[in-house]
Amino acid sequence: MFLRLVADSFTRRPRRKLLTGAALALGMAVATAALSVSLDVGDRLAREFRSLGANLVVTPAADSLPLEIGGVDYRPANSGAYLAVADLPKIKSIYWHNNIIGFAPLLEARAMALPFALENGKLRQTANWIEDVPLIGTWADHGVPLPDGGEFRTGIAKTNPWWRIDGQWFSDDARECVVGTAFAQKNKVKIGDEISFAVGDVTKIPSPFKVMGILSSGGPEDNSVLVALSQAQLLTGRPGQYRKLYVSALTKPEDSFAKRDPKTMNADEFERWSCSPYVSSIAYSIAQALPGTDVRVIRRVAEGEGNILTHVRTLLWLVTFAALLAAALAVGASSAASVMERRSEIALMKAIGAGRGSVGFLLAAEQLLLALVGGGIGYALGIILARMVGERIFGAAPEPSLLVFVIILGLAAGVTMLGSAIPLRRAAHFQPAPILRGE
Amino acid sequence: MGGSLVGNRKMFWRILRRMLLANRGRVLVILLALAAGAAITAAMLNLQIDAKRRLTAEFSVLGPNILIVPAQTDSDATSRATLDERILDEVPPTSPDGWTPVNALGYLYLLADASGPTSRTYQPVVIAGVRSSLADKRVAAMRHNRRPVDGHSCIVGGKVAAQMHLQVGDQLSLHGVAGEQPCRVIFLRNMGDAGDAQISPELEVAQRLAGLPGRISLIELTARGTSEQVNDYLEALRKRVPNAGVHGVYQFSEAQGKIYSKISGLLTATVVLVLVLTALCVMAAMTNVAMERRNDVGLMKAIGGATRRVVRLFLTEAALLGLVGGLIGAASGILLSMELGKAVFGVAARPRLIVYPISVGLTILVAIASSFPLRRLASVRPAAVFRGEA
Repeated sequence: MFLRLVADSFTRRPRRKLLTGAALALGMAVATAALSVSLDVGDRLAREFRSLGANLVVTPAADSLPLEIGGVDYRPANSGAYLAVADLPKIKSIYWHNNIIGFAPLLEARAMALPFALENGKLRQTANWIEDVPLIGTWADHGVPLPDGGEFRTGIAKTNPWWRIDGQWFSDDARECVVGTAFAQKNKVKIGDEISFAVGDVTKIPSPFKVMGILSSGGPEDNSVLVALSQAQLLTGRPGQYRKLYVSALTKPEDSFAKRDPKTMNADEFERWSCSPYVSSIAYSIAQALPGTDVRVIRRVAEGEGNILTHVRTLLWLVTFAALLAAALAVGASSAASVMERRSEIALMKAIGAGRGSVGFLLAAEQLLLALVGGGIGYALGIILARMVGERIFGAAPEPSLLVFVIILGLAAGVTMLGSAIPLRRAAHFQPAPILRGE
Repeated sequence: MGGSLVGNRKMFWRILRRMLLANRGRVLVILLALAAGAAITAAMLNLQIDAKRRLTAEFSVLGPNILIVPAQTDSDATSRATLDERILDEVPPTSPDGWTPVNALGYLYLLADASGPTSRTYQPVVIAGVRSSLADKRVAAMRHNRRPVDGHSCIVGGKVAAQMHLQVGDQLSLHGVAGEQPCRVIFLRNMGDAGDAQISPELEVAQRLAGLPGRISLIELTARGTSEQVNDYLEALRKRVPNAGVHGVYQFSEAQGKIYSKISGLLTATVVLVLVLTALCVMAAMTNVAMERRNDVGLMKAIGGATRRVVRLFLTEAALLGLVGGLIGAASGILLSMELGKAVFGVAARPRLIVYPISVGLTILVAIASSFPLRRLASVRPAAVFRGEA
């Protein structure tokens, strides 16, 4: 009899049930979308923040003190220590290798430059030797072979993503270069020109590099010339070596625990510390993978990012909470409405002898069924909605998660019951007679 | 005719008043839904505007966003060219956001030899003399901008300290081309940038070492504001200091623009969703209203009320509810957003007056749109209602 009543209530007035169910589904869809997006948003935002560029810098531990002013290193040539490029793939073998977004080794030198312009198919020298030109050798887009056989493409565009280039980057091993905008302006160099470089004493004019692009970085690089790392190694006589490595890593904002010195931690704490992607623990594991290096956290970037990320996450959780609250309110109200419009039905049941409990139980079962069906449909709709929002804002859809599904069904059931409870309680006190009379 | 019109109007409002008072519980539910929607909308809109301002402040922690360097000349000595120190005081003191002070730092870089308390040998090192355009008290409050406190103190980079085995409190002796200056180490700096390999005394000390009184190498500015505001500021600055090169630092401005647009998109999406949900909530309540009022509408129609007038009556009711709910809700929403701002950014959000009318307007629109179920009343046939047929 009970099941028949429930089934009847759904089949006799399908339109009314459909309306309530639709309201429920819509509310839950919104809740699903809000929840999925905000569960996903932390990672997405952390990735966005990598547009700030590298947050770690690696230098040789045994290096002499850099004497750098305006991008030019005034150390005597060949002083200081260098690191081996051959060790670099090890960075992608550390525990947090998936968090390493990119890295770029740099080899800087003070060079002399001799620019040529191409005129009528002939190279014409346009100026005398320019002294003290900061020359930077790096990777533009370089494939690093991985231990597992794959290849990781990285370069300066990953670690310094704000650099704007007019034209294109040099190819990996070609005699090509990119010049800083200030250098280009001062020496009247344009794309297509050629420049000869020499480090140290010049005996004959070396074969020139073709200018492929003009770089504007907003920093001291605007005064320098960039060439492929391998070419810089040839020029400086440092094959297979680099001096500075920028690493861009996805990190978790540092809390007070992360700021502790790992040397003072006990085994458990150290385990927990090294299993969280804090910038300091990533720095620690890079130092372990590349012995003889000094790995420093670029504090401004790391801390600024951490602060902003923490604040934005709090903000987004608040927003999600607001959306959930609104969804709960809407679903509660519509289920309250659906109980209220059945007053005469309730009165009839009571008049023919149904007790308070059985009426309540019947209605609750109906509402619950509706909540589960509506919640399920709402979840499916919400995933589509979350996909739209995610793709529009971050260009990537959040992964559907089981957790959200469970929360949504629970929320739907809870809110529906709560919403129906108030009118049900009132209905319990109704006298059947006046309601049936229509008063 | 005029009299009857006034009478009609009087009657109209009287019916409206009675309708609102007849079922106070129901009206309260609708009002609550509308007010809650308005509150969340107002809070989100206000936070959205405020988040922009707060984020520009947060991003200024990342570092200077404008550089003033000596103008490009054709001479080869560009890298050693300097600026007049007075430019530092010509920088407009207020940020493009209109209220925060611009933090301008003038630097003079030179190579010098330093010797510590234990070693007799000299270590070549980069000296970065620094002076701020701000009053000292404010500068001291900024964690990332530790400065020498007087002419006898200096900040030492961590790499320099490691190389020379220096500690806080040690006495250093600096030898430049134009003289010798003592300084005491007051802070070891480990920020992961070029400053870690420098010794930073007061600007005047560096000028004496280099023999360049009144000259500086470059100026770093931290000016808060949105990308557009900073661009306008850059233009103004270029006109003000025509003999120098003024550059924006893209690293932070680009990231700032990108991240703000993401957050703003998320907040807008939430506002839209919340408004849809509010509409849903009100719609549910209105469905009930429609059910309950079948008899009333039947009666009105029976005694000659035109459908249009009946509908107008209900729409006015909805708009009134929207207005009241919006006025109450938006006000509490703005208060709420100030508290939320405090919770999120540690500083109460500033209320924006523009948010208030927008939220109220949106709420009224939602209220009217969600009286959609009342459309059923138009099809009520008086006879059927009075016979008690559904």
